[in-house]
Amino acid sequence: MAAILIVEDEESINELVKRNLQLVGHQCTSVYDGLTAIAEIRAHSYDLIILDIMLPEVDGFEVFNKVHETPTIFLTACSSLSDRINGFSMGADDYLTKPFEMLELLARVEAVLRRTQKSKSSFEAGAVRIDFDSHQVFYRGQLVECTPKEYELLEVLVNNRNIALSRERLLELVWGYDYEGDTRTIDVHIQKLRKKLGWENVIKTVYKLGYRLESHL
Amino acid sequence: MKFRTFLTTLTLFLIAFNLGILIIAVTTFKDTVNRAEERSLNEHYFIASALIKDFHAVESRGTDIDGSVGALLQPYSYLSGDRKVKLALYKGNQLVYSNRLEISIQSHFLEPPKNGSRLAAIQHTDGRTYAIVSGQLPAPFDLYTMVYIYDTTDAVTAWKHMKNMLFFAGAILSGLLALGLLALLNRIFKPLSQISQTSRYIAAGAYETRLPVFGHDELAEVAQSFNHMTAEIQRQMTELIAAAEKKQQFIDNFAHELRTPLTAIYGYAEYMQKAALTEDDRLSAIGYIMSESKRMQTMAYQLLELANLNNDGIEWETQNVSELFQSVKQTLHNKIAEKEIRIEFLCEMDDIRGDACLLQSLFVNLVDNAIKACGMGGYIMVRAAIEEGRRTISIQDNGRGIPPEILGHITEPFYRAEKSRNRKDGGAGLGLAICKQIALSHGAELEFMSKPGEGTTVTIKFTTS
Repeated sequence: MAAILIVEDEESINELVKRNLQLVGHQCTSVYDGLTAIAEIRAHSYDLIILDIMLPEVDGFEVFNKVHETPTIFLTACSSLSDRINGFSMGADDYLTKPFEMLELLARVEAVLRRTQKSKSSFEAGAVRIDFDSHQVFYRGQLVECTPKEYELLEVLVNNRNIALSRERLLELVWGYDYEGDTRTIDVHIQKLRKKLGWENVIKTVYKLGYRLESHL
Repeated sequence: MKFRTFLTTLTLFLIAFNLGILIIAVTTFKDTVNRAEERSLNEHYFIASALIKDFHAVESRGTDIDGSVGALLQPYSYLSGDRKVKLALYKGNQLVYSNRLEISIQSHFLEPPKNGSRLAAIQHTDGRTYAIVSGQLPAPFDLYTMVYIYDTTDAVTAWKHMKNMLFFAGAILSGLLALGLLALLNRIFKPLSQISQTSRYIAAGAYETRLPVFGHDELAEVAQSFNHMTAEIQRQMTELIAAAEKKQQFIDNFAHELRTPLTAIYGYAEYMQKAALTEDDRLSAIGYIMSESKRMQTMAYQLLELANLNNDGIEWETQNVSELFQSVKQTLHNKIAEKEIRIEFLCEMDDIRGDACLLQSLFVNLVDNAIKACGMGGYIMVRAAIEEGRRTISIQDNGRGIPPEILGHITEPFYRAEKSRNRKDGGAGLGLAICKQIALSHGAELEFMSKPGEGTTVTIKFTTS
């Protein structure tokens, strides 16, 4: 979907971010220090940079100053307020502190991509096409009638595809924190989506966890 | 304090001063009165003596005394020339002559002692003061009592005037004194108020404030001690702040060092839980989790070691240096072989006192660092010798060296040379901090000398044998 550059000197974390972003279909490139990052940004065009602040040679702020036309999410272990303010005042699009959760990373990436119009306006898998701008879902070219909650659930599943989402998390993401309904609501809506889109094998039930929309493009 | 001193001094002065004036006034008054009495007595005596002669003369001529008294006394009345003298002559209680006698004479003056002595007194009547002397004429005319009255009002008025002048001058002087005293006290108390002002500044945090020191008196001494105290406080505050900053830095660094492996461990676990993985993905994720856990374990172990070094004493035993070197060589054998490093151990002394484990850990750490600094085929020399009377062990490498600006910081826990340390060599950033602590607990100094690109020499100088 989007071309993302990951600048992080810790190999394990760089790899982790890369794998998570690849799950939802992003193209990722990893670099491990500031100088290489600057060269890489100048050589290729990226939709988004995930930038660690503490880097060898040249630190993240400096990298950002040199090439700040690309949307950037800072990734750092410094959680101090002054660091955050510093990052934001420089024009960072978002800020992510270690340790972070997978869903948080993906949500922030998605939000920045959408804000900068870099995310795709539609998603296609098999016979299903989803138009994010008009909130319309098509099956074999035919418009499928969806309730607003069904659409939102579908969007969450698509944005976090290949990642298992617990029923509680889905409730929270779609219905909001203060919804006091049963997690059975999720099961009912999932059943409806599967039936409407012919996705019995795409939206998988993950044992003891929840649901996962599997799609490999 | 100033106000109290002012009041006390002023009151004491006023009391003493006014008491002085009062004593002078009273003395002068008594003197004036005495003089008036003296004079009156003399006059009385003089007139009485003259009158007796006249009486004898009159009697010898056979003339009646009573009839000629007026004529006899007339000249004496005008004797004084002014109108201050009044005369009265009584025969028994009967007034036989008087001149200008406007005042009434108390009756006891008319009965003076019979033995010829005279009565003298001061009498105030109608705002005027009189000295009155009365006495019988000598025999045979002791029927007659002569009263001499002298008006001393002028003298008393003069005295009153002088007294008023004195009190007035006293009041002015007191005012002047009060002003002078106030000025003096202000001058004396100025350094004190300066001290209290400065103390307030210092209490408010301006530790660089100092008192000005003038002259060599007691106050200058106080100011000097005060300044010394302030300097001490400032120094200790600076030390405390530095220590607190160091501690904060340590905690910040520790939190930071903890975050990276935690992020990785949690992240990979979550990844394994939520994503559909191939066997390869799963294995590599587990690999990351394990290596990051190992890193945290190392860090925890080293932190514990550092903490123990801070708390515990060490066991002093005589250690054979070449044996120590041998074990170092064995421990690092693989790494040395891997990088094809040429390592030499030169041993010019037999033994050293200290804790075997700690010393070995110290040497292993330092040699390990030297290995990391060296490229392929580097050269390391470990030398034990007695230099300037001190047992010295030095570890020299020809590796990449340490930039001078960070040389002073490398023994700080978690110190990062370039904000981000390349951890491909492993380690949690506590190695040199531990080395320094081990050296300290052995009473040794750890010195680093380095030239970037040429290599580093670490010297451990033992102060105790």
